[in-house]
Amino acid sequence: MRSRNTRRKSTMAKASNAFAAAMLFALAWSLPVRAQSIQSTPSASPLYKEFVDEAGRTVRVPQPVLRIISLAPSLTETIYALGLQDRLIADTDFCDFPADAQKKTKVGGGLNPSLEQIVALKPDLVLLAKSFNRIETLHALETLGIPAYGTEPHTVQQIISSTERLAGVLGAPEAGSALSADLQRRLSDLQQHLNGFPPRRVLFVVWSDPLISIGRDTFIADALKHAGASSIVDSAQDWPQMSLEEVVRLQPDFLVFAGSHAEAGQNDIEVLAERPGWRGLDAVRNRHFAMISDAVNRPAPRIVSAIEDLARQLHPEAFVPLPDDEKEKKAPPTAEPQLSTVALESHAADTAQMEACACAP
Amino acid sequence: MRPLTFSRLLMHCAVLGAILFAVVVIALKMGAVPVSLYGLVRDLFRVAFGQASQLSSEHQLIVFNIRLPRIFLSIFVGASLSVAGASFQALLRNPLADPYVLGISSGASVGAILALIIEPHLALAPAIAALFTPVGAFLGAAMTVAAVYFLGRREGEIDTTTLLLAGIISASFLSAIIQFFMSTLSGGNYRGFAFWIMGDLSTPLQPILNWILRVGFFVAAGAIYTTAADLNLLLAGEKEAMHLGVDIRRVRIVVYIAASLLTGLAVSVSGAIGYVGLLVPHVMRILFGSDHRILLPTAAFGGAIALVIADTLARTVVSPSELPVGAVTAVAGAPLFLYLLRRRLA
Repeated sequence: MRSRNTRRKSTMAKASNAFAAAMLFALAWSLPVRAQSIQSTPSASPLYKEFVDEAGRTVRVPQPVLRIISLAPSLTETIYALGLQDRLIADTDFCDFPADAQKKTKVGGGLNPSLEQIVALKPDLVLLAKSFNRIETLHALETLGIPAYGTEPHTVQQIISSTERLAGVLGAPEAGSALSADLQRRLSDLQQHLNGFPPRRVLFVVWSDPLISIGRDTFIADALKHAGASSIVDSAQDWPQMSLEEVVRLQPDFLVFAGSHAEAGQNDIEVLAERPGWRGLDAVRNRHFAMISDAVNRPAPRIVSAIEDLARQLHPEAFVPLPDDEKEKKAPPTAEPQLSTVALESHAADTAQMEACACAP
Repeated sequence: MRPLTFSRLLMHCAVLGAILFAVVVIALKMGAVPVSLYGLVRDLFRVAFGQASQLSSEHQLIVFNIRLPRIFLSIFVGASLSVAGASFQALLRNPLADPYVLGISSGASVGAILALIIEPHLALAPAIAALFTPVGAFLGAAMTVAAVYFLGRREGEIDTTTLLLAGIISASFLSAIIQFFMSTLSGGNYRGFAFWIMGDLSTPLQPILNWILRVGFFVAAGAIYTTAADLNLLLAGEKEAMHLGVDIRRVRIVVYIAASLLTGLAVSVSGAIGYVGLLVPHVMRILFGSDHRILLPTAAFGGAIALVIADTLARTVVSPSELPVGAVTAVAGAPLFLYLLRRRLA
């Protein structure tokens, strides 16, 4: 009995020794990886310039910047707006504007781009936007020794200044200041038109089911202000979910929708307007809908066009045609939705009347 | 139960180690950027013989600085979850016990998200800040284990059904709490967290976290291994084991703390990855029997192999985008589990 026990014990001891040895071996095996992981590979060109990006990091950017990867649709648009599209070697699955951007090599989505694909393309600089990417991706690129520049605009003015700064980083400061001057001029023109008109109280509909709107710290809320509107939602959250009751209580003057296709958006509005709670909104009864391009959702130069479009829809009286103004007025996106709104007006009036009857007692 | 011999344990571990090595080589080859097998083997030899400087910089970055660290992360996370699952199954004497089903992963997630929310307000030194999330995840895991264990008792004995129900209800309760906290996160943090919670191995770890994960795994798995013989006796029942001279209190404390540590570490670096901790121990039990002195090491290898395969699929199926690895383990794990269940009933 005793001998059997000891034998069992010694076998056990041997077994656990072997296991411990195996574990040590495994641990040792994993050692060299750490040792060699942060050897950044010096690029062929020895010239570097240092920039501080909008996340506060110092980025060493090789000069000249000839191979750019954009990890956000807004940054892709900005590169095109600066006329630097020939240096853009890859972008994300979501970069759809301008149409040419869809033909670029793709490195995946904004949240989960393929790091190895990015490395294989040997970029001089990778651009990220805080509103679209994860901070982890920025850190990962940093660890791999790939220059990565992060942007983080919170207002329309910051979008313009961020664009100008980015143009400097990419070695095209003239294009940047020209673009920025043009955008500033258009915004101040708009302010002159809107001068004296009180802002419209609007509900910006990000998503209708559930109802998601925008918080006060988003650049969209700021864009609304530039378009002569103010959001009825005053939330510290960026994408607050709203209760319909609250919207009915606040009674916005206008509902603002943003979409890439005006017609599809119009259909959505009609479906929405038929829903029980929504019919109670004055804005729905009065057909006060504004439909603008989804450029308003992207912190890129094109947002100014969306702002102009929205201002014209919310304050038509501010843009009473002056003879010399005429050519600017024929912006195609505004014309069609307005027509269809008129066509549906009579039907909506019927619905409103029926509802009035139902509520009468 | 066949007697355990030194050579038998060594042989099993060697075979599984060889399989793991083969899987790692294949995983190193696969990815969004094609790497030839010849080039890969050549590079591996160069690294093995200390000639790393001869590597092409692109290969070195992609294979050794992106894929390899990620594979090591999969190995340690998979092994941790699987060992934790095997020990919970033994201790709770319940074949369904695993970190995910028992709500322990959810508890670790709550701990991690609370740490994420609190951390910016404390102005900690970077080295401590890096530890904050894993510590939070560990505490969350440990508290959930304790709560589920006490809720699952009936008249002083663990009751299988009650325990399982307590775990499932805790998991859904904790998930609701996670949803609540997530709605308070700001945009950037929200996206990062939403991605993490589905199980994500794509983010390279900070070096210090990497070390904590590795050292923590060996310490905790080693601690559980010291109770392996007692866990075998526990299979007969708590009272029976006590009569056979097992110090139940000690075993329980060691296994709870160590398994919670394993789960907390794994969840804090990779989010909640399901089914690895549930399935791998079952498969290993079918292959190698239920002697925990063999089951625990083989489960570690098996978990590592399973997660390396799952993560390789996650990286390559929709390349150049990536799937969350938790989705891959669930899609592959759920049918396999049902198959094993029906097989056992038949």
